[in-house]
Amino acid sequence: MNQLFSAAVERVSRVAGVRGALLVESEAGVPVVSELREGVNETAIAALAASLFRRTAAASETADFGRLNTLQLEADDGHVVAVDAGDLILVVVVDHDAQLGLVRYEAHRAAESLA
Amino acid sequence: MQRWSEEVARDPRSLAFLPLARAYRKQGLRDASLQLCLRGLEAYPSHVEAHGLLAMLYLDTGDHQRAADEWSMVLRVDPDNFEALRGMGFCYLEQDRLSRARQMLERAALLRPSDPTVQEALRVLGTRQEIAEKGLSSAPDVAFGDDPWAATSDGGPVFMLAPAASAEEAEASAANAGTENTQPQADVPPRAPRAVPVTGPVPLDPMLLFDDLLSAGPLLGALLVDVKGLVLAGRLTEAMRGDPAVLGAVLGGAIGEATRTAHHLALGTWRGILLDSEHALLHLAPAGSDAVMVLAARRDAPAGWMLRASAHAIGQAQLYMEEYA
Repeated sequence: MNQLFSAAVERVSRVAGVRGALLVESEAGVPVVSELREGVNETAIAALAASLFRRTAAASETADFGRLNTLQLEADDGHVVAVDAGDLILVVVVDHDAQLGLVRYEAHRAAESLA
Repeated sequence: MQRWSEEVARDPRSLAFLPLARAYRKQGLRDASLQLCLRGLEAYPSHVEAHGLLAMLYLDTGDHQRAADEWSMVLRVDPDNFEALRGMGFCYLEQDRLSRARQMLERAALLRPSDPTVQEALRVLGTRQEIAEKGLSSAPDVAFGDDPWAATSDGGPVFMLAPAASAEEAEASAANAGTENTQPQADVPPRAPRAVPVTGPVPLDPMLLFDDLLSAGPLLGALLVDVKGLVLAGRLTEAMRGDPAVLGAVLGGAIGEATRTAHHLALGTWRGILLDSEHALLHLAPAGSDAVMVLAARRDAPAGWMLRASAHAIGQAQLYMEEYA
């Protein structure tokens, strides 16, 4: 199982502009597997991304939009893409000028491979 | 406590989480209480009392901003909640947002006319407004005490102030100190959003503001929402289920969370959140200093198109706010 997780994370982290990718246990917000550039804080990303995902997922369900599949946080100096992968969330942190379309595509494929 | 604890252990969705979380807080087990409360809110996101308790837990650690976020959630669901009105009133007063503070505190005073903390806050507010009208700076003797939020024995916040001074005394104090007269500190606006410039007439009816966008394409709704989750303009189309007020309210907390996430991960100012849900695509983006643009579209709408539609809507929103501010 761990090999499967590692393969999924590695696949996304190879995309140009990706600072790091990690699988996070959605309830606890703790990292399971990660591939991060040096200096990227694994624990902080896992906790913050999982919290944001859980909160927006709850909002989505309350507003009758159903289950949240993907969250994309856009900011001046980078973006975070988080994809639902069952009990896990695949979190990808990318540079501001990365090809977001490609990142999203690879992230979805990686998440599907875990289903 | 044991009974509640067993009930929560047996059924994580049990409403016993609330009395148990309260009991933990009373015993000083703040972290356990917070965790329980957050888990409870995941199951019951609109639970007024849980949001109220969460506000108090944040207040316990001096996190006034998060406490205010929670009270604002409470007020969306229960606009006459005394504790939340009082708490928000204190927050606004602390930030020198005097007219908003007055709105909240006067509503709280109507509900409980004899509450001494609200009366005291209103008195301070009156003095500050008088000083602001005369163009004086807030003198230290009308500012808050060292810990204006110290908890009372019943667990609620109390508004502790330094000894009162009249506007005349403050005026004399400022003159003696030779200080330059300044207005109270204004709210600090976030950086400008990326809006597409829009020109032309602005519709008088705020509900019709985004109708050119809504009339074609995959959009299901376009709402301009203030930071407290109240709808300022726009509407949802008939094709979309739900109440715009609920949509604004439930997204309020997520906006604060996005801001914190971007800040803590050193990503700079947040520019938007794109949510891809089972039934819809949703985009949120800051629109000016105190509003958020929310667009909802069919799930098959292209993400890139959604971002451009959002930029256009923000342009319209800015024009509208300049016109009617």
